[in-house]
Amino acid sequence: MPPGLHQVPRRPVSVTLARRPGRPARAPRRNSVADSPVQFPEPASPGLSTRPADDAAYLAYRSDLSSVRALVLSRARQAGLPEGRASDLVLAVSEVAANTLRHTGSAGTLAVWHDADEIVCEVRDAGIITDPRVGQVKPGLDAPGGHGLWLVNQVCDRVEITSGAGGTTVRMHMTLRRPEAAG
Amino acid sequence: MWYNTGVDLLTTSVATVESEGEPYTLVELVGEADVTNSDALRDVLDAEVAKEPRTLIIDLSGLRFMDSSALHVILRANRAMDRLGGVLSLAGPREPVAKMLRLTAADQLVPVYPTVSDASAG
Repeated sequence: MPPGLHQVPRRPVSVTLARRPGRPARAPRRNSVADSPVQFPEPASPGLSTRPADDAAYLAYRSDLSSVRALVLSRARQAGLPEGRASDLVLAVSEVAANTLRHTGSAGTLAVWHDADEIVCEVRDAGIITDPRVGQVKPGLDAPGGHGLWLVNQVCDRVEITSGAGGTTVRMHMTLRRPEAAG
Repeated sequence: MWYNTGVDLLTTSVATVESEGEPYTLVELVGEADVTNSDALRDVLDAEVAKEPRTLIIDLSGLRFMDSSALHVILRANRAMDRLGGVLSLAGPREPVAKMLRLTAADQLVPVYPTVSDASAG
């Protein structure tokens, strides 16, 4: 078991990573619980102020990471994310889902949704992350692991991680309109 | 590990190639290399490294996807080849795989060539 993934912490860890310089945080999208047809367990994730959009696509996975990647790729293309950035998002989600297989004995859930501004992939599983700086420091290439979350932070525009006794949620955001093209 | 290995996702084939110069070992990877099949990939590479070839070339041109587990296995084989005085090189990565090699700086450790023939020419 790698450092950082061990016992249950007393309080949930909540960190926001990989916010690129010069790109302000967007006001979170709010959805009304009352008119949501999606039966998503509440609280969705401590530390995350929003829930997946009502029209999010869901996939429960165990070892079929290829299906996880295929869903992310098709949704990213539908959302209009350029091909290179779609591949980046596929890599990021696959790395996080791989951690589900490595560190938990149970299934994980992927949710994907987008609006005009961004596409978001959320991976939830029963794993516990206790190191709030996980993925922020590049591991040496000789290290037996730890590149996954570091890569996630390199390729995504914004990453949110919350972890507690209820499990871990990792949200990966990709902006659909590049800043220079916006407005 | 408890999960099934994704052997169907990844096909490996191994050949010893008699080139004009030194013969070399060629391992072709086709499909998707991830945590579900990295143990199988490690076994394939370990078996070839154990034969102590002077040159081991991994053809990545058929690989649609590679994650950090597969990268670790390749870097492990690279260290073993180093110890044995041989050279491991990578050939033909498509853009998603090439980008991963750049981001992790693995391309600074392992020579990466556009094609297998470039790799065999060194």
